[in-house]
Amino acid sequence: MSKKDATKKTFDNILLTLEETQEKVGYLPAEFMVELADSLDVPVSDVYGVASFYSFLATRPPGRNVIRICKSLPCHLKDGQTIIDTIEKEIGVKPGRTTPDGRFSFELTNCIGLCDGAPAMLINHNVHVDLTPGKIASILDKYK
Amino acid sequence: MPQAKIVLKNCGIIDPKDINTYRTKDGFKALDKARGMTAAGVINEIKTSGLRGRGGAGFPCGVKWEGARNSPGDEKYVICNADEGEVGTFKDRYIIQNDPFSLVEGLAIAGYTVGARQGYIYLRAEYSYLLGLLRGAIDQAQEAGYLDGFNIAIRLGAGAYICGEESALMESIEGKRGESRYRPPFPTVAGLWQKPTTINNVETLMNVAQIVLNGGGWYAQMGTERSKGTKVFSVSGDVARPGVYEMVLGSPLRELVEGLAGAKDIKMIQIGGATGRIIPYDMIDTPLAFESYLGAGAITVYNKSRDVLDIVGRTMEFLAEESCGKCTPCRQGMEWMVEVLGRFHRGEGLARDIGYMEVLADTMALSSLCGLGQAAPFAVVDTLKYFRSDYEKGISGK
Amino acid sequence: MGDITLTMNGAAISGREGMTILEVARENGIDIPTLCYLKELTPIGACRLCVVEVEGSRMLVGSCHTPIAPGMVIQTHSPKVLEVRRVLIELMMASHPDSCIVCEAANCCELRMRATDLEVGLPRFRTRLRYFPLEDENSNIIRDMSKCILCRRCVTACYNTEGKKMFSLAYRGFESKVIYDLDKPVGSDETCRDCDTCISLCPTGALRQPIKFGQRKKGPVLYVKG
Repeated sequence: MSKKDATKKTFDNILLTLEETQEKVGYLPAEFMVELADSLDVPVSDVYGVASFYSFLATRPPGRNVIRICKSLPCHLKDGQTIIDTIEKEIGVKPGRTTPDGRFSFELTNCIGLCDGAPAMLINHNVHVDLTPGKIASILDKYK
Repeated sequence: MPQAKIVLKNCGIIDPKDINTYRTKDGFKALDKARGMTAAGVINEIKTSGLRGRGGAGFPCGVKWEGARNSPGDEKYVICNADEGEVGTFKDRYIIQNDPFSLVEGLAIAGYTVGARQGYIYLRAEYSYLLGLLRGAIDQAQEAGYLDGFNIAIRLGAGAYICGEESALMESIEGKRGESRYRPPFPTVAGLWQKPTTINNVETLMNVAQIVLNGGGWYAQMGTERSKGTKVFSVSGDVARPGVYEMVLGSPLRELVEGLAGAKDIKMIQIGGATGRIIPYDMIDTPLAFESYLGAGAITVYNKSRDVLDIVGRTMEFLAEESCGKCTPCRQGMEWMVEVLGRFHRGEGLARDIGYMEVLADTMALSSLCGLGQAAPFAVVDTLKYFRSDYEKGISGK
Repeated sequence: MGDITLTMNGAAISGREGMTILEVARENGIDIPTLCYLKELTPIGACRLCVVEVEGSRMLVGSCHTPIAPGMVIQTHSPKVLEVRRVLIELMMASHPDSCIVCEAANCCELRMRATDLEVGLPRFRTRLRYFPLEDENSNIIRDMSKCILCRRCVTACYNTEGKKMFSLAYRGFESKVIYDLDKPVGSDETCRDCDTCISLCPTGALRQPIKFGQRKKGPVLYVKG
């Protein structure tokens, strides 16, 4: 009980709290959203409303590493689709899915501002640019 | 002549991790100078310079600051919009990577001028890897005593293009869904937590120290009648040398795209990303200025092998995914546009839908709640104007 | 005191400071259609149906949230405004099911009423439908979110007039939805106060009371033109 009271004061900003939790836990468990709503005295639908608005917030557990590959025009023009297909073949799941061993989540994302290094992707907080199909296997190898 | 370095003057020269290298390049002299001036004096210099917002809307910076300064209230905020999400824009990333100090100095000058004790930098989630660098720059400036009486907090976005729109950005800092607000009230009157607030793009703030140091008159010598100074462009797509280029406003597009970036066989150019304008190659001598086309300076080049309908379709898909969904025209209209463009792309279009697209584009531009919805149909409108036959080829049975 | 004079549809009228264009219009007997607006509550500005032409403004402005200013010249029913409103209604109907004939809202449906007023024909902008299963477990409220046009009246009204907050907005863009709890159906265990506020305010058949036999519909007869 006292633990809840102690955290109460910091819960004044839904988005900020969700971001902090995601950074720590990896996603936003339903129990956490209910607890956050209670401590803020707002309905849990408000919390879920914020969580579901932002594409980087996950309400289901993602893989240990999240691949976010850009599908926007500058990357598309540099044959980004081939890279997407290569990753799909490499990890064996389609975009939007997580590998059965939980190693990778694979997501297509809108422009990530790395167009001068297109095609580009983010894995977790790391940047990978000027991708070619040949580079993919060794990049993915670094993420266990 | 047309290439000039004001915003990017320190990029590649200083060490972005070391404040001392910035100090040797006149770093924080402008802040000291500004603090020796009255707020009205600083506003006057900015107004004289003719500096307009670099995020796309082009609102005069001096007028914005004056508005917030003169709004009643003790509690005011200055925000730096580092949520560049426009497709093909990466200049702000380049700036922060190379010279975060000028940004901190610019924001501190804004804070002093407006009368704000709290500043925010809203950084897009996609740039989370810049967090350490940016925080380092703020901390070093703080330790060196440059930020006395002024606090800068970084707020990280969570993956929403719409939060680059100023009212949605404020909602997001408040911890809510990033939905646009109606205006008035404008942020300078009732912004963040309903307090007077200014929101400036990264690049806009990068100009501030230079203007304070060298005077508004010096800055106003560059550019055209209504577009003063320089602009940083992010060039990508079918070019030999994609990258960031700074040019004096009014410079011809040809020089940037063909000269500097080395594009060949151009079919069309998208200026300003997904909500930007599309122009055919024969308009390449257009000057880059607020009077013509500019946006946030994203230049995406398409060569002759590209399919117009594919490009417009992907542009609309992007905007449909990123619409906040609050207002009817943007939420419903984008969905229809995406579906119809898909049909044309597959050769299953209906002739009457071309007219309907124009009707819908009008309604979206006239009645949407914010700039996203209002500018969303541009790619369709422009390509219907310049590449109409591509649409006609997509009609079923043709 | 505080009187502001302006021109609306060619006539000089006046209002008090702080009033919105819509309020002044209504006070002067001019009917500007609205769907998300709720009198006395903070405007939402989502449906855009109340847009009007204001001289000097490139865009149309939402009359429910734009305050009046001295010397404003406003057109509330110009051809441009009417065409935009027509398209907006068509857009709302674009993803709305064609079930009017069996819908509970029937001739009390505000969306239909506005469509009839504006002489909207067959919608030009058909999109995929937004389908959600019917939520009919609760004894006080039935929700059919497929019919929802996202005006947010229920969200605002529940919060402001009843001090409760049953509903919130979730997701974004075309996927936006008014949700309950963690986007669950309103279950039988929800003990909302049965105040009827949200149901009576819903402009479509998205919210309704569980059917009680013998209940009669009230509302004007809608004539289908053409």
